[in-house]
Amino acid sequence: MAKSPGVYICSGCSIGESIDVPKLAKVAESEFKVPRCQVHPVLCNPEGVELIRKDLADGAIDGVVIAACSPRVKTDAFAFDPTVVLDRVNLREHVAWCQKPNDEDTQMMAEDYLRMGIVKAQKSEPLEPMHDEISRKILVVGGGVTGLTAALEGANAGYEVVLVEKDSRLGGFVSTLKKRFPTAPPYTELTVDGVAAQIESVSYHPKIEVLTSAKILKTSGQPGMFDVTIATGAGEMKTRVGSIVLATGWKPYDATKLGHLGYGLSPDVVTNVEFERMAAGGPIARPSDGKAVESVLFVQCAGSRDKDHLPYCSSVCCMASLKHAAYVHEQNPDAAVYIVYKDIRTPGQYERFYRAAQDHPLNFLTKGEVVGVEKADSGALAVTVKDTLLDERIRIEVGLVVLATGMVPNAADGVAIRAVKDARATLARADATEPQKVDARNKIETLAHHEGTEILQLTYRQGPDLPAFRYGFPDSHFVCFPYETRRTGIYAAGAVRSPMDAARAQEDAAGAMLKAIQSVELEAAGAAVHPRAGDLSFPSFFLQRCTQCKRCTEECPFGTLDEDVKGTPQLNAFRCRRCGVCMGACPERIISFKNYSVEIIASMIKAIEVPEEEDEKPRVLVFMCENDAYPALDVAGLNRVQYDPSVRVIPLRCLGSLNIVWIADALSGGIDGVMLVGCKYGDDYQCHYMQGSELANRRLENVKETLQRLQLESERIQLTQLAINEYDRLPGLINGFVERIRELGPNPYKGF
Amino acid sequence: MADTLVVTPDITFIREVMASGGEDLKKCYQCATCSVVCELSPDEAPFPRRQMVYAQWGLRDRLMADPAIWLCHQCNDCSTRCPRGVRPGDVLAAIRQQVVLHYAAPRFLGRWLSQPRSIPLVLGIPAALLTLALLARDRVADALGLSVVPTGRIVFAYSSLFPRWMLNGFFGFFALLAFVAILVGVLRFWRAMRAAVPADRRGQPVAGLISSTLSALARIVTHRNFASCTTARSRFVSHVCTMFGFIALAVVSLWVITAAYNPLIRGDFVYPFSFWNPWKILANVGGVAVLAGCCLMIRDRLRENGSASSSSYADWALLFTLLLVTITGFFTEGLHFMRLEPHRHVAYFVHLVFAFTALMYLPYTKFAHLAYRGAAMVFAERYGQTREASSMAPVNRQDAQQEG
Repeated sequence: MAKSPGVYICSGCSIGESIDVPKLAKVAESEFKVPRCQVHPVLCNPEGVELIRKDLADGAIDGVVIAACSPRVKTDAFAFDPTVVLDRVNLREHVAWCQKPNDEDTQMMAEDYLRMGIVKAQKSEPLEPMHDEISRKILVVGGGVTGLTAALEGANAGYEVVLVEKDSRLGGFVSTLKKRFPTAPPYTELTVDGVAAQIESVSYHPKIEVLTSAKILKTSGQPGMFDVTIATGAGEMKTRVGSIVLATGWKPYDATKLGHLGYGLSPDVVTNVEFERMAAGGPIARPSDGKAVESVLFVQCAGSRDKDHLPYCSSVCCMASLKHAAYVHEQNPDAAVYIVYKDIRTPGQYERFYRAAQDHPLNFLTKGEVVGVEKADSGALAVTVKDTLLDERIRIEVGLVVLATGMVPNAADGVAIRAVKDARATLARADATEPQKVDARNKIETLAHHEGTEILQLTYRQGPDLPAFRYGFPDSHFVCFPYETRRTGIYAAGAVRSPMDAARAQEDAAGAMLKAIQSVELEAAGAAVHPRAGDLSFPSFFLQRCTQCKRCTEECPFGTLDEDVKGTPQLNAFRCRRCGVCMGACPERIISFKNYSVEIIASMIKAIEVPEEEDEKPRVLVFMCENDAYPALDVAGLNRVQYDPSVRVIPLRCLGSLNIVWIADALSGGIDGVMLVGCKYGDDYQCHYMQGSELANRRLENVKETLQRLQLESERIQLTQLAINEYDRLPGLINGFVERIRELGPNPYKGF
Repeated sequence: MADTLVVTPDITFIREVMASGGEDLKKCYQCATCSVVCELSPDEAPFPRRQMVYAQWGLRDRLMADPAIWLCHQCNDCSTRCPRGVRPGDVLAAIRQQVVLHYAAPRFLGRWLSQPRSIPLVLGIPAALLTLALLARDRVADALGLSVVPTGRIVFAYSSLFPRWMLNGFFGFFALLAFVAILVGVLRFWRAMRAAVPADRRGQPVAGLISSTLSALARIVTHRNFASCTTARSRFVSHVCTMFGFIALAVVSLWVITAAYNPLIRGDFVYPFSFWNPWKILANVGGVAVLAGCCLMIRDRLRENGSASSSSYADWALLFTLLLVTITGFFTEGLHFMRLEPHRHVAYFVHLVFAFTALMYLPYTKFAHLAYRGAAMVFAERYGQTREASSMAPVNRQDAQQEG
């Protein structure tokens, strides 16, 4: 613990013009009796920083509290040994820039923030990095174009790579293509280079071990120390890897569900994947009679962008059909090719290929909806299309119909598999109640098809594979964090994480491999990966007091915690992302970080001076997500937006780390209201830890009951979702909440 | 299903349109900028957006029966604004050629005249026919008891090689053929247009045939449609010059040809006229007007070539035919005044060949536009498909909802 932190106050950047800095320094000196308290006009310049360094070197202080600008800026200037306790009090963005200068309330705000900072420093302990035998080897799962690229990228960067492919040969889908999409300007010519060159490079690379016809039997351990058991033709083998790139690709959507588009009606209705195979195997002929193809109709979005099938766009089918049109005309320049689309989507440079295809006299493209495919008397297939560009319902007779089906990820839903397993266990249990059994049966019925799809075979408590996100893709599906999954050290790349074509998958492979490399390097340094990359803190569990309630193991978004037979959590620190969700979940408050704990935050709350009821100065505590809401408040300061001075902001690593005891502490301490500002949750969640603010919201439900028991209005607590770009909403939210608190009147527990 | 269109694209048609000026046809992505900017496009039946998609899909029959194809005067307002550079103006011009070809009788003449490689044949036929006529002249004269040397009160001394009766007979015969051909074409076109009008409105034209014809004539004479163009504004002047110059020449020619039967002409009628004869002045002014009009058109076409519009063989063929007719006419006139023998006879022969080319091939060349466009304009007046009429009589409600 930093018993005697030094306090350094910066009076620059208009802090000194807004706040009475000498008076503020008195707080540190007289209230806390800190061994050093210095004021500097530009603390971040070398002279100011030297001041701090000197005191540290002298041993005069054992911690640093810098009261200056936001902790999000000047991190390079105020970089000290990580083992030194450091706290940054945000006087500039959160006080000086957004409050009335030289006002009594502004001064009180600054003083409270300084108190909170000093208390936090006093309660924090210096960090010590974890050390362990970290393997820097990287496992790549899948030997298609993504896996091959990832393996080469990793190996060329100097890392050992193990490439696992379930098939007997490398190359995946791309190796079966007749031609690939254009890869170079002018993007109007198809290319013939498949993945042969990459297969060769991978096969002979000294740093890549290739395992074909292989299957993962078990993956245990944690990032940096994954022990993977792999079954190959030559028997079982075990290897230790540091991180994993999941590049298992995709499978075509099941066309048998597309009877309404004629699949199954005639052998002449085929999918785009079947058509590709026909084209790659020689001249394209009608499957029914082997005759040459005179006319083809492509149905785009066959089972895609359709709520009854795949609700999403696979982004490649349009290009595939345009490519197939080129195949047809290569073979027969007089063949008529019809493409019926919802919208042609040819992302990026592929638009050029689309334009070139439009120019072909015998490509007939129309927006429209296929309403029927039937056999015509002539033996041809008659396709009826409505809502066409011709402004009429049209009927076209063609020799071949191709359904452009979409991509389904080759992923397993670990959470679903785990749920089925749990349900089966419930049914097997003698003491299960009838409603539990009904629930279990329902679960088995809806989720049983997930069994047997396992890929990684993780030994995690939360299931053997990555949890599936929207539409079954394991990617965290948030624009800021491509490749991230909900299992630390495992990165998804290529079509398994999002529908994409080979070129994009190759870029993806490089990106995911870079993530995997970062992961092993950070683990070797004992530090956290994204989003708290470099954080050396990690949670510790005071297990003597654990009641085996399993809340932490259930709620951890990253599967960090396993449990023993009794249900006691077992920490796998390298899987941890340091969000503190477990800390917020624990009713016994036995989980804490050295610099972030229930006690530290509680002390900060206690450090707030609550004015007497007669002063008519309410106090509102605001817990802010440090990833989105806190930066937004900084931006509000940057824009000099004023808001009510009654608020005191405490940043949380994640709103999911909110322990409800803090709210009880605050209210019993006389604070009039508590506001929580977290990221957006739901389908378009923006939480860095996937579910933080959602969990906080759930916990809040329980708090409100407690409030009612205490005869306190539940309106005294409010949770708000805020995106990082919504800084302009913040003052309104804060002022509105304070206004409502004023209307409710002071907290009756004031002064107790 | 009765309301379902069975699509069987006419591949040859698409390729021909693309080969004859509509090479970017397929680029059209149906944004309808063209229909919006067109000053002639009626609100209730806008063009050329719809015609573009019909052409892309090879729906030939629809275009063959569509008056809108001819309501376009190719001012290229659409072509300069098309975001895809498709030049709908050129595409419609190419389709018009296809319409001429479609209604051409006999068809092979249409084919010949649409190809540059048949130029020798096209010019060779009238040359050969005229030569044959010359060779047969004396024998015919003997047989019919006519004189090769001008006699009587009508003196026709342009060239003793071509007596009046011979020219009248020769040109009269072929003019009759051409007239029948174009009449057949236009009637078939009219029938097709009528068949394409939705059945419930076919029996209810908004204007009578005569009043429609008069309105269309007024439109043509005043060049009102040309006047509304902004991109090809100069086409107004050149077309006025060419058209009225041509009419002047036609009137003088008819006056001369029919002189023998004209009750107004008493006494001697000497042709060629003297230089200051009012008819001669009219003819010369007309000739100069056609010459000027053609030169302006050639200048415009060269200038806009590749940008707003690119000219096709049919465009150049008509322009140069008219130009050469006029130039050889003036040449002959000059040589005649100079009494240069035998040069003036040769020049006259050449002039006659070009005159034949211009007039007798009319049903098969771009020149046929005077008949087809005229018919389409009358039809549009009759069925309320002009810009002015569209607010009164909706022709195609579906269009109005979609594009209005």
